[in-house]
Amino acid sequence: MMSAKQNRLIIPALALSIIALLVSLYAVVAVQSLAASINELQSSLNELKNTVSSLQQQLAKLPTQLPTPPAPKVKLVVIGPWSGDEAKYFQAVIDAYVKTHPNVDIEYRTMRAEDVAAVMPVQFAAGVAPGDVIFGWAWFIAKMGKEGHLVDLTGVVNEKEYVPGIVDTVKADGKIWGAPFTMWLKPGFWYRKSFFQKYGLAEPKSYSEFVQLLEKIKGIQGVKNPLATGDGVGWPISDIVEHFIIAYGGPQMQLNLISGKTRFNDPSVRKVFTDYIVPLLQKGYFSEPTEWTTVIPKWWAGEYGLYFMGTWITGMVQDPSDLDFFPLPESKGVVGGADYAFIPKYSRNVDAAIDFIKFLATEGQGVHASVPSGKIPTWTKVPVSQLWGPMQSVYSKITQRGMAILPDLDDSVGGDWQKLFWDQLKLLWVNPGALDSVLKTLEASQPKP
Amino acid sequence: MRKQDFKDLLMFLGAPLLTLAIFVVYPIVATIVISFTKGGLSFTLENYREVLLETIPLKALVVANPEPYPPWGALVHNAVWILIAVPAVVFLGMLLAYALRKTLGSSFILGIIFLGMVLPGVVSGLIIRFMFDADIGIFPRIFALFSIPILSRTWTIYPQSALFALILGSVWLWLGFSVTLYSAGLDSIPPSLIEAALVDGASEREIFIKIIVPQLKPVTIVVALMTIMWILKIFDIVYVVTGGGPGGSSTVLALIMYTYFASALEYNKAAAVAVMLAVLTLIPAYWYIKMILGSEKQ
Repeated sequence: MMSAKQNRLIIPALALSIIALLVSLYAVVAVQSLAASINELQSSLNELKNTVSSLQQQLAKLPTQLPTPPAPKVKLVVIGPWSGDEAKYFQAVIDAYVKTHPNVDIEYRTMRAEDVAAVMPVQFAAGVAPGDVIFGWAWFIAKMGKEGHLVDLTGVVNEKEYVPGIVDTVKADGKIWGAPFTMWLKPGFWYRKSFFQKYGLAEPKSYSEFVQLLEKIKGIQGVKNPLATGDGVGWPISDIVEHFIIAYGGPQMQLNLISGKTRFNDPSVRKVFTDYIVPLLQKGYFSEPTEWTTVIPKWWAGEYGLYFMGTWITGMVQDPSDLDFFPLPESKGVVGGADYAFIPKYSRNVDAAIDFIKFLATEGQGVHASVPSGKIPTWTKVPVSQLWGPMQSVYSKITQRGMAILPDLDDSVGGDWQKLFWDQLKLLWVNPGALDSVLKTLEASQPKP
Repeated sequence: MRKQDFKDLLMFLGAPLLTLAIFVVYPIVATIVISFTKGGLSFTLENYREVLLETIPLKALVVANPEPYPPWGALVHNAVWILIAVPAVVFLGMLLAYALRKTLGSSFILGIIFLGMVLPGVVSGLIIRFMFDADIGIFPRIFALFSIPILSRTWTIYPQSALFALILGSVWLWLGFSVTLYSAGLDSIPPSLIEAALVDGASEREIFIKIIVPQLKPVTIVVALMTIMWILKIFDIVYVVTGGGPGGSSTVLALIMYTYFASALEYNKAAAVAVMLAVLTLIPAYWYIKMILGSEKQ
């Protein structure tokens, strides 16, 4: 039973609760209007900051007699998508930088691009950043740059020194918001040389030879499917589809699908699916989508003959010297994509971050490409001889065929369309009869030019 | 009220109320306000209209178009989930708790069953993925023994079976909670009731149906209500196992909210889904609280 005193306390307690609720409501409204004012103030401050920093740069160029004071100790937080061995290869780049910049202490943290895109917009809106140099998707960088959350890197990245078109995806409002790092390629179907030798197989020179090869592999005892299908959030399937689009729709179709000029329900796009992809699915050449990393040992053990994957696979197999690949014979291009780094405007060490990102975008690429990262540089000044051995042969095979390097379709479009693309292709893979529904769904949400 | 009383009141209630106001009330009010605005501060129902009529498979709440397999949205998936999982959790939990009472090593078995409850959602999700994998999963392998090809493949990658794999997985996860509550409920049934029934010549089946089940009614209500609330806000295992696919065939409300928030960056629509989710969860929560208060009065 409640005492009389407790009873007396109930009404004031309820009153206090209602007051708290009303105050909260008022606070929501007040905070929202305050946020708008703060944003305006922030942009004015940033303009002022830019003016001060350009003045500082001009002053620095003036000759001076004063001795340079020792550089103060700076700590940079770098956020990237790599973990495990991949993080080890990126660490080599950090080590190379720190060696020449002893005053900089770099802490590396792992965060997937999906999480960067999910978490950071809210943090940026609050005026904070969890890192000084962050890797993310190109579309995300362009979007955040456009919204005024990133440091302008136009003066840092010299577009002419990079693989053509690679900087375009991080441009918005005529400014460059991201610095390109090394590049992966998705060059075609990987196979074990020893597997091909053992069963007398050869790289195909036409599409009919490709189908014949699949039929031969299907007949080999112990092979589940000729082609392994990697699965994850969905990107491995989209990579396969893009390769077919480039090979049988042409590189321009890939570019037009990105820009939205060509729609997914266009007869020419449908033809790529009906004439090439769907028949292969219906004949059971592709395996069920299986988590892409768990496929690697199975494929290596001979459960599958071919595996479509990016160049990073060279660093994930037991013996890279036993590894080779071929693109679809008619292909005139391969998808290549860079990892891009950006600096949030809210970084506490913008100057140090700019210096590090400049290194990442230039000499740092040479370091990353020289270790088994499975990447090639986007900075054209890195000599091919500096690349890791297995990647040198991949690179020369692509250049010998004169293949164009094209942007990744879903990475370029991004947003929730990317997820829809992955999901619909997963559906197609297990239900090829759903082609019309898949193309219609993709077209309905495809961004317009 | 005396001055001293008011001081006591402020001292004891001030700090917790302030904390609640900042960390609970403010976010709730802000979410509600955001869900009814678009851009500015003017009131609109547009967000609710748009999320309810959305037909893109990974965002559809009611009906997806063009049709994936089956053509339902997240609200329907949540409803199907409740219709299947709640009876399964209640029935299996009660049966297991009753059977385990007379089994040697029941504590050990109970511990194993409860494991699903204590595992982090992501880990549980991965286990569910393995459970329904064609190569190593127990369910496909059992059906392979009976030569049923449609169920001997990886359940989670087919639109016809993805949602059911998740539902069965969630039953396994939630069974630990159900069995634990029913075990406690069984302990509270007076043994004299069962002894009297035995003396009167009642069979085990009759004792279970006519004594145990009615006596466990309050526990059943708690298990059912808590399971409904859990299913309504389920997210982690769906995110890990299927991501709502393929073709949007396994989306749920919380995942749609996350998609609006994290992929589409449409915060107003995400808030609208969040409010709808909260309102739906409040219905079983209301009955649950009502029941608790009722039993306290008694």
